[in-house]
Amino acid sequence: MSGDSLPLPLPLARFAADSCEATTLYRELRKPLLRYLVCLGLSADEAQDVVQDAFVSLHRHLASGGSQENIRSWLFRVAHNGARNRQNSYDRRFGKPLNPQLDLIAYEATPEQVVLAKEKFRRLGKAILLLTESERECLLLRAGGLRYREIAEVLGIPTSTVSDTVDRAIKKLAEKCNV
Amino acid sequence: MCSFSGRLVAWMDRELPDNEAADAERHVRDCSECRTRVDTYKQVSRVFVAHCDAVMEATTHRRPRWVPVLASAAAAAMLFLVFQPASVKQIRVLPPVADASPAIILETAPKPVKTVHRRRGSAPAKTPNANWVLPETAIQIAIPVEAMFPPGAVPEGITFIADVSMAADGSVQGLRLQP
Repeated sequence: MSGDSLPLPLPLARFAADSCEATTLYRELRKPLLRYLVCLGLSADEAQDVVQDAFVSLHRHLASGGSQENIRSWLFRVAHNGARNRQNSYDRRFGKPLNPQLDLIAYEATPEQVVLAKEKFRRLGKAILLLTESERECLLLRAGGLRYREIAEVLGIPTSTVSDTVDRAIKKLAEKCNV
Repeated sequence: MCSFSGRLVAWMDRELPDNEAADAERHVRDCSECRTRVDTYKQVSRVFVAHCDAVMEATTHRRPRWVPVLASAAAAAMLFLVFQPASVKQIRVLPPVADASPAIILETAPKPVKTVHRRRGSAPAKTPNANWVLPETAIQIAIPVEAMFPPGAVPEGITFIADVSMAADGSVQGLRLQP
């Protein structure tokens, strides 16, 4: 090692190489993961904690030479299990906090558009609550950008089941919301 | 139901090989049933994602949290923080919220000592001297800048390592920055 910077202990040097990969993943996936967890019903704080834990696990996984294949579904699975472990009230909150804060999403829209959007969202929120747990999870993971086979990995179910479940959920939502 | 429907999602996920993708595109153009399915799928997905974003916004719309970072910091006798883009001036090292009982003297402490529970990993043997320092690193954590600072506070492309030494009671003993 050259003299101007402090020599790094070996684990840190290793860690620095891994951290490039991990940092890219963090940038790309932190928000989708948070969104997934919050939509599952975790509080913002809980979701932050679960995501932090997931990335700490990722560091360990990469540092111990773990496979980098399917790392996206790996992270979602860790986060999913983390959420499961700390959550008692699994789906109570999904769709609930929307009504007063809806302006956040439509601040550039005209008043009529806002009213329409609110109405649509209200109906969607209700319809989402009527989905089964697995339908909701599949859709949320799908919204997180995962492919069917990745969703299947996260939830530990066959890909064909994911496909059927998503189809069913989409159909239900389309009916309820006249999309 | 159209026999092609099973492959529609694979096509939307761009998982089909080129020649099959071209077939699929042609098919969707010609088959009204599949076209309707794809349209519904996309519309519901869009609304659903917007809904998730709104739930996320509504739930997480507040200041970033410092406490968990510091809590885990207190768990370590020495801590390396690797920030991705960051600027030196922005670093805030707050003292941990914790139960700071600086001198843990065995003869006088009948109460359970909380600091012991907060240490993770290989906890060193407890000594009556509160000012001992671990010989080497305990924990290394990479924290991308957006987790610590408000957006835009830190220019892109700057990386540094903050080398934080902590006392046994969780207070910060020293902070050294390396580019």
